[in-house]
Amino acid sequence: MCGIAGVVFKDKKLHGVGKYMTKMLDALQHRGPDSAGFAIYGGLGLNENEYLLNIEVKETPGLLEQVKNRVNTITPIKNEEIIPSVENHIIYRCKIALNSFNELKHLIMDIDEINDVIVLNGSHSFEMIKDIGLVKEIAARYNTPDKQGTHAIGHTRFSTESIVDRYHAHPFQSYIIPDITVVHNGQITNYWKIRDPLERKGHIFETNNDTECIVHYIADKLSEGYKLEEALEQSVKDMDGPFSYIVGIPNGVGIAKDQLGLRPGVLAENDDVFAIASEEVALREVLDTHDIEQLSPGEARAYTI
Amino acid sequence: MKELIIDAQNKTPREVNQAIKKSAKDYEKIIINNPNAMHYVAAGLTDPVEVVIDGSAGYFAGTMIHGARIHIKGNSGWFPADNMTDGELIIDGSAGDGVGQGIYGGTVVVTRDTGSRTGEIMKNGTIIIGGNSGFMSGLFMMGGRIIVLGDMAEDAGESIIRGVIFVKGKIESLGKNAKVEEIDHEDKKELNELLPAYGFELTPDEYEKFKKIVPQSKRPFYGTDSEDG
Repeated sequence: MCGIAGVVFKDKKLHGVGKYMTKMLDALQHRGPDSAGFAIYGGLGLNENEYLLNIEVKETPGLLEQVKNRVNTITPIKNEEIIPSVENHIIYRCKIALNSFNELKHLIMDIDEINDVIVLNGSHSFEMIKDIGLVKEIAARYNTPDKQGTHAIGHTRFSTESIVDRYHAHPFQSYIIPDITVVHNGQITNYWKIRDPLERKGHIFETNNDTECIVHYIADKLSEGYKLEEALEQSVKDMDGPFSYIVGIPNGVGIAKDQLGLRPGVLAENDDVFAIASEEVALREVLDTHDIEQLSPGEARAYTI
Repeated sequence: MKELIIDAQNKTPREVNQAIKKSAKDYEKIIINNPNAMHYVAAGLTDPVEVVIDGSAGYFAGTMIHGARIHIKGNSGWFPADNMTDGELIIDGSAGDGVGQGIYGGTVVVTRDTGSRTGEIMKNGTIIIGGNSGFMSGLFMMGGRIIVLGDMAEDAGESIIRGVIFVKGKIESLGKNAKVEEIDHEDKKELNELLPAYGFELTPDEYEKFKKIVPQSKRPFYGTDSEDG
C-alpha cells in the first residue's frame, strides 16, 4: 500500500520540516510498517563542493576502520557521526569534499565494494534518513523532528516488489543529476520497458525495485532539459501500472498519478505551504483547511521555490 | 433527544466503532469529535441512529451500514458508504474515489467534488454529487441513480448495465455502452422532489439543463449481437 507525503514552505526559509514530515508520515503509518524514510531539503548548509555520505556498516570488528580508510584514500573525511541502528548495523555519516558532482557515484561504488557495507546515499542539498521500522522509532533514532529545511518528501513502506532493508527503503536517489529523490506507492508494470533504454544510455541500476526506475527516469528527463512538471507528465504517458509517486529536487517537489487513478493522491495549499500526500490525514498535520483536492487520474503537479 | 459525544482523539477506529455500536440502541444521536480523517468510522452500523462526524473522515466511512444516518461535516477519503444497504451518508465537503461503491440502497450526498469511479458497481440507491464527478463515474453500474450537478470527467458511465446518471453540467466523454438521452417530464419531477430535500435549490431553468446517461444495452459483452443497441 505505502504512504507518501511531500511539503514545501513557500517562503524558501528554514522551517521545522523534519517535525512536520514526521507527523505526516506517522499519520500514514497504517499504510506501511516495513520501513520509512525522509529527504529533507535545504537545511544541511554544506559548502559548494561538500557532500554528506550515509553508509550502512555491519557491526564487525575492524569494518568501520576499513570504510574510513577507503574514504580517506579518495578524499579526507571532514567530520563524522555514528548513528546506532538495528539488526547489528550502524549508520556511519561523514562529510567529504569532491572536485565535482560526477565523482560522487564513483566514490559510492568504491565504498560499496567492501563486504557488509553499503552506501545508502550521498547528497549535497538534502539529508537522507531511511531505515527499517516504524516512523516514530526512526524519527527518534535520527533526531528527525529537529531537522530544519525548506521542503521534504517522505514514505512509509508496505513492501510488495523487493526485500525489506535500509537500501530498499524509500526515498530512492539517482546520481544522473544532483540531489533528486523519489517516494512511491504502487507498481510500475512495464518496468523493463522503462529500465532498458535508461541502461542503454549508461545509467546504473543497483536494484530491481521499480522506484529506483522512476527516479532514474525523472532524473534522465530533467538532465535533458524537461521542467519537473513536464517530466512528471511524460512519465504518466510512458509508465503503466497503478502508481502515485512524489519527486524531491533541490528547489521543490512534484507528484504524478497513473492514468486510471488506482493509487491515491491529495493536495492542499495556502499562502505559506504546499502539501501533497496519500491521504488527507497527513495534510492535516501541516495545514488547517477544508479544501482538499483529489488528484485526477493521470494528473501531475509540481511546486518549485 | 438523547445525545452522546465520543472523542476520537487517541482512539483507534476499532475503539470508536465499538463505542458507537455499544451506544447506538440507547441514543438517538452520536457525535464524533476529533475524527481527524480516521478510516472505517461507523463501519457496519445497523441501528437507525444519527451519527455526526465533526470533521473529515478517511476511507470507507459508513461502509456496510444499514439504516444509520451519518453526517460528515468535512471531507471524506475513498469509498464512503461502500456496500451500504439502507440509510444515509451526507458529506459536507469533497470526497475521494469510489463514492457509494456497490451500494444496494440508501442515499449518499457529497456537497462538493468527488474523485474517480463514483457509484461503481452500485446496484440500487441514490448518489447525489453537488460538484464534479471524476473519471469513470458509474463504472459497471447495475442499478440505482446518480445525480451530478457539476461536470462528469472522461468515460462517464463506463460499461453501465442498468441504472441512470443525471448530469447538469458537461460530460467530457462517455464510456463503453453508455449513451445520452434527454430527460422527460417524469425525470424532472423526480429530480424536483429529490434535490431540494438535500439543500440543492435549483431554478426551473437549471432543471432544463439535465440530461441522462443510460445503458445502450443490458447485455453488451458476450456474443456478436447486442440485445437492443
